[in-house]
Amino acid sequence: MNTVVCIKQVPDTETLIKVQGAGIVTEGIKWVMNPYDEFAVEEALQQKEKMKAGAVTIVSLGPDRAIEAIRTGLAMGADTAVHINDAAFYEKADPYATAAVLAAAVKGLQYDAIFLGKQAIDDDSAQVPAMLAEMLGIPVVTMVVKFEVAPDKSKATVTREIEGGQAVVEVPLPAVFSAQKGLNEPRYASLPGIMKAKKKPVDVKTAADLGVSVDPKTVVKEMTLPPARQAGKIITGDDAAAKAKELARVLHEEVKIV
Amino acid sequence: MHGSGAEISREVFWNILGPGFPTEQVLLYVLVVIAFLLFFHGLARSGFFTRMKAITSAKGSDVERVNNPWDRFWYMVTDVFGHRKILREPYQGVFHLFIFWGFVALAITTAIVFLQADIIWPIWHVWFMEGNFYLGLSLFADVFGLVAIVGILMAMARRYFMKPKWLDEKGEDKVILWFILAILVTGFVVEALRIQATETDPASPMNPYIWFSPVGRTIAFLFSGMSMDALRDTHVVLWWTHVLGALGFIVFIAYSKLLHIIMTPVNIFLRPDTPQPPIRVMPPEMFENAETFGIHNLEEYSWKDLFDTEACMRCGRCVEVCPAFNTDKPLLPRDVIQNLRTYMENKAKFALDADGNYRIIPDEEYTGPALIGDGIEKDTIWACTTCMACVEACPAYILQFPKLIDLRRYLVMMESDFPAEVMDVFKGMENNSNPWSIGAHSRADWAKGLDVPLLSEKGEAEYLFYVGCAGAFDDLNKKVAVSLVKIFKAAGLDFAILGTEEGCCGDSAKKIGNEYVYQALAMANIETFKAYNVSKIITMCPHGYTVLKHDYKELGGSFQVFHYTEILDKLIKQGKITLKQPIENLGTITYHDSCYLGRYNKIYDQPRDILKALKSGSLVEMKSHHAKSFCCGAGGGRMWMEEDLGTRINQKRTQEAEASGAKTICTACPFCYTMISDGIKELDLSEKLQAFDIAQLVAKAAGLDQKTNKAGGEGEQEAAN
Repeated sequence: MNTVVCIKQVPDTETLIKVQGAGIVTEGIKWVMNPYDEFAVEEALQQKEKMKAGAVTIVSLGPDRAIEAIRTGLAMGADTAVHINDAAFYEKADPYATAAVLAAAVKGLQYDAIFLGKQAIDDDSAQVPAMLAEMLGIPVVTMVVKFEVAPDKSKATVTREIEGGQAVVEVPLPAVFSAQKGLNEPRYASLPGIMKAKKKPVDVKTAADLGVSVDPKTVVKEMTLPPARQAGKIITGDDAAAKAKELARVLHEEVKIV
Repeated sequence: MHGSGAEISREVFWNILGPGFPTEQVLLYVLVVIAFLLFFHGLARSGFFTRMKAITSAKGSDVERVNNPWDRFWYMVTDVFGHRKILREPYQGVFHLFIFWGFVALAITTAIVFLQADIIWPIWHVWFMEGNFYLGLSLFADVFGLVAIVGILMAMARRYFMKPKWLDEKGEDKVILWFILAILVTGFVVEALRIQATETDPASPMNPYIWFSPVGRTIAFLFSGMSMDALRDTHVVLWWTHVLGALGFIVFIAYSKLLHIIMTPVNIFLRPDTPQPPIRVMPPEMFENAETFGIHNLEEYSWKDLFDTEACMRCGRCVEVCPAFNTDKPLLPRDVIQNLRTYMENKAKFALDADGNYRIIPDEEYTGPALIGDGIEKDTIWACTTCMACVEACPAYILQFPKLIDLRRYLVMMESDFPAEVMDVFKGMENNSNPWSIGAHSRADWAKGLDVPLLSEKGEAEYLFYVGCAGAFDDLNKKVAVSLVKIFKAAGLDFAILGTEEGCCGDSAKKIGNEYVYQALAMANIETFKAYNVSKIITMCPHGYTVLKHDYKELGGSFQVFHYTEILDKLIKQGKITLKQPIENLGTITYHDSCYLGRYNKIYDQPRDILKALKSGSLVEMKSHHAKSFCCGAGGGRMWMEEDLGTRINQKRTQEAEASGAKTICTACPFCYTMISDGIKELDLSEKLQAFDIAQLVAKAAGLDQKTNKAGGEGEQEAAN
């Protein structure tokens, strides 16, 4: 089975984020592959291993540094990669523009399925999988936690997470799938994998190569960080009754919620 | 024989040689030659030479093994005859010493008799075995023979009555003690029969000196009623029994663990003379060129790794001290070595062609059981805390746990096969340079408001205080880091920290088997240290201490590294820190030796000296301490793994602390501090036992702690939770 996995490089969840205007300061940030995209890569690899045939292609839109996330995917076992490296997109791409350029890049590739993470943990839009499917004119199944494909690769039986439970969906291939946590346990790249990844082919393309121009539908105007967490307050008192009284006073007078 | 006419002596071959040509003596020579031939035949039959072929074909790298041969030889001689390591366990040590010296003395005696009777007398007709020399020799042999018997009886008492659970029980173990006891007893009975026949007669010139064979003389009383013919007949039969037994013993060596008589001294000669138990070096360029990492194939070990399996005689001392074994996990260091030997034996047989020639089987041709999984189980490989107790205990200088690290390396770097919970640890180290996966930018948050000098601002300092991940990120251990900087500042020490420029030391990655990540972390640190011209480093964590001091050298980082206990001890002794306030409520104190401080780096005294200097409570030792200390369970990356097999190591150690009667248990290692604190909570011992890091107590006693000067105050315990 041939698969395409679209990945995004995002700041590590633990890294220090500083807002600057409508964006963030990118200096000093530790960049990683979007964790949900790791499930997508892992699923593509597992399907390939199960079918004992096919290739996994990584597609990513991002600046020079995005090559690190691409190499991570290649180190895990993907075969080839397309790196769409275009300053115009990096400046302005919204989910729509991203989906458009990914669709253009994917069109030239052979695939039975396209995997993505259900959302990127930086902007949390969660729009690209659906838009990409629409632009390619194929079905999409989101929040996938289990994926099985028919031996003739004509259709897939997919379990997806729904509120309070799960739903099993059947879908003809090719189709787009967005991965939710629980789909699999992403592998830790082996050392030979890391070494081999350095030599695997990465096709670097600009938007012009793909025949698309940046056409965002949304513009970020401002970004703010959540307010810093206030230090906790320990209620003191001689006994439980005194503590309860003090707690009531604080809730009433200081916090003003009762 | 004994034609010398010497009166104070004995006739060698009394009652054995007939008149005329000494047929029996010649027969004895023939038997001796046959015994030695059978010994070598036995070696061949038991696969010794095949194993040697397998050993010499091993390809793995190793440290120097034959440098300074005379030093090595002398060390071997003193170790073998002085029982340097064997005596660490008093009971086993003493009985082995008794058996060993008993047999050495009897061998010396036999050699003297042989020299006299078979060489000097026949050639020069000189008889030196007479008079005081003979009497001395007689007494010497008797006493040492008895010593050997006492040793054997002690060994039997252990095997049949004490029955320690770590003692191996194989077929040969049931025979060996009885066999050597029989040789000694027949020897004494033969002597007694001869004495009864030749020396009890008051007319005999030897009669006044009969008690120079005290054991033989005493046994002879049993035979006082026997006729001369009966004495002679019994003597002849038993003499030959004794001789055949002794010669049979030589042959038996080839087939049994008794081969350690030869192989263990050789292994002592070949012992590593590195300051640390050597873990196979992986040169950085290897990561660019090599195709496989770690070990999953026998031949990837070094010849010495495989030779170790020959020197192991299954004594089980490594098992006795192993924290994994003692908490019912499937790791017995002895069995790792023995299983490796069995695996080697089987594979070696597999690799013999029809003509008996040995060949290395290419991986793809080999279809037998796998080394990892079949030879040594994965649960065994992951159970090790790298506490070094096995290496320290082994009288044969075998390296047990480093062999497991090679296997971990293969599993981690080639197969990505490791306990699932370790994934986050690796990612944390890779992305944020700490195993807690906390943002690297917050590495210096613990020092906020303490006015701790930063090397980037200060430019240079005499000491770099390398805090390490635990001191920087773990709430419990941040308090220790805070105590340390307060002490350093009060003592006027010229120091600075790296703040966010500091990186993980990499020890856990290295011991889990991820040498690739370890080297990346280590090289980043080395680069930073060099950029600031750092020469002296103080570490808070013994794990960082070990890798910075020893392992970074392999990667070009050579620094003078101190553990904080070395520095505090010095500052206290120099009077730069005054411990003016005794700390209340400490009660009796016990010190828990960190494996990486104690066994790895021989730092035992400084922490104890500091605790004595507190003058706040008397010091007691737990059941295991110093070189025999029991691990907290966190080493070797076990800190980051679930402990779902057997019982918990930290609880066992905490129970030892409780049993010592101490109220306070002190640590000098963040991992130990965490594990012991958890142990106290898990066992619900908070009422009886409290844990502190030594640095916290020093800060308190020096009046540097803002809080009340009582140990174990409520606020303190809350914060610890």
